Amino acid sequence: MSSIEKNVKCKDVAPLLVFYACDEISESERELVETHLANCKACSEQLAEEKELQAALTSVPQTADEVDASGILLSQCRSELEEALDDLSAPPLQEHWRPFGWLRRWMALRPAWTGALLVFLGVLAGTQVVPWLQNSSGRNATGQAMNVRARQPLTPDQISGMQISGVTFLPTQGSDSPNVQLQLNAEQPMVLTGNAEDSDMRYVLTYVVKNGDRFDAGTRLDCMDALKSAARDEQVRAALVNAARNDQNPAVRMKALESLRDAAAEDDVREMLLDALEHDNNPGVRVEAVNLLVGSLDHEAPEGGAPPASGVVAPPGLGESTDEDASIERVVRVLQQLQRRDPNRYVRLRSAAALRQIGPREVQ
Amino acid sequence: MPLPRWALALADDNGCSGSTNAALTAVTSLPNLDERALVAEAQAGSRAAFEELVRRYDRDVLRLALNLMKRPEDARDVYQEAFLKVYRNLHRFRFECSFYTWLYRIVTNVCLDHLRRRQARPEDQAPETNSGHHDEGITDFFERQREHRPTLDPERSLMGQEIKARIARAMERLSPRERVVFEMKHYQGLKLRAIGDMLGTTEETVKNSLFRATRKLRNELGGLR
Repeated sequence: MSSIEKNVKCKDVAPLLVFYACDEISESERELVETHLANCKACSEQLAEEKELQAALTSVPQTADEVDASGILLSQCRSELEEALDDLSAPPLQEHWRPFGWLRRWMALRPAWTGALLVFLGVLAGTQVVPWLQNSSGRNATGQAMNVRARQPLTPDQISGMQISGVTFLPTQGSDSPNVQLQLNAEQPMVLTGNAEDSDMRYVLTYVVKNGDRFDAGTRLDCMDALKSAARDEQVRAALVNAARNDQNPAVRMKALESLRDAAAEDDVREMLLDALEHDNNPGVRVEAVNLLVGSLDHEAPEGGAPPASGVVAPPGLGESTDEDASIERVVRVLQQLQRRDPNRYVRLRSAAALRQIGPREVQ
Repeated sequence: MPLPRWALALADDNGCSGSTNAALTAVTSLPNLDERALVAEAQAGSRAAFEELVRRYDRDVLRLALNLMKRPEDARDVYQEAFLKVYRNLHRFRFECSFYTWLYRIVTNVCLDHLRRRQARPEDQAPETNSGHHDEGITDFFERQREHRPTLDPERSLMGQEIKARIARAMERLSPRERVVFEMKHYQGLKLRAIGDMLGTTEETVKNSLFRATRKLRNELGGLR
């Protein structure tokens, strides 16, 4: 017996007996224990007790042997597991995307609140949203021309009884015909917006010019200004010619002449201009008439003509005597008279200049 | 003490763990696969491979659960919970240990959780059914024993029941871990190293648990002879 084995005491071996009994001991420990047991009766008895205890414990039937001897529980467990695996393996329910699903569920569960909410939203939309949208669209408009027609055509009675309380020229882009807004005081006050191309608007403007005595000079001036682009229209031209002849206000007559500038070559206009040169007592009107006549003749004259050699106007050329020539001849004659006799020096000078301007045509 | 079935399964190169399992798996083409291939198949999403793995080990899992929990309902819960955990976490298994070790680690953890919950709330637990015979009186017990096991000595049977009852009471004094270690060592026949692997702890810790469990049982069952 080695000294080490002699020194091994029972208290060192006792803890190992449990594992010695169940074969969970290392080789070195086994050798140590077995050497000690050979000489120690107490430890041998303790080992015997340990083995007896383990034998008693392991010999008792186990719960599993008694409860599931037939395997029924195992079958049940397998079935339950398969069901659980089915649930796990099943693809998740593909819910279609439903926007505001929570809102619909909320509404379905609370019908009274839903009704109140819908009424509130309706009131809100009617009182706030719609005006806001209208204002918004109004702000977004960038000066676009907008023709607003009267719901019903203006009747002669309405026209005859109307008063114009205001004429406003609206900003216009890319059009010769300005947009005008007329505030009419008829049986029912109305606002008429449009330009001279618009038949209703042209009709009203022409009426104002034709019946100038019913409207103030400012309104007449504005209406003539608006009618410039429609001067070639026969009715408009007639009204303007009438105003140029008969309006009491020389500024209005001058505006009438200005508005007729584009139609100055028309016979009736030229006739009116010649009459104005001979009879209008306002030198400004006469000068304007001279300007229009010269302008109309300039439009008719061919380009590149040489100026006349002298201030004397030559008689009509070799060509046959046409109505046009007669008209021009009369223009020249009137201008010559004006040059000599007009009481206003500026008119005389302007007439002389006009004669020089229209001279080339006569030389031709 | 019979060897656990999983041990038989490990010993069998074909992966067949016994006649019952063989009958169950004969209907599939998977029984011939070894454990690693089966696990790989299951990880790839094969439900059949997973069920084959379940069939190989679930008898032992249920046995362990029954012995630890004592009540069939609790054992059923453990069985279900453990295998569902395995199913959900199979993709994390990296073959760093054997599949049965990993499986038993999950099963024992589930058992420990249940035992700890039971200890924390003993009033919630229904009485153990155990063999189901105690409530019916000794007369019925003897009659049943005669009927099923006519050769058994009634006196010996009665003594066995008494010993069993005392052991059951003594086992109740063990901590959940001591109980699991004792069960796995003495009733499942596992080595302490394997138990340590399954519990995720060292062999030394398992030794300590087994030592304490044995000492407690000896104190409780001192006159057991």
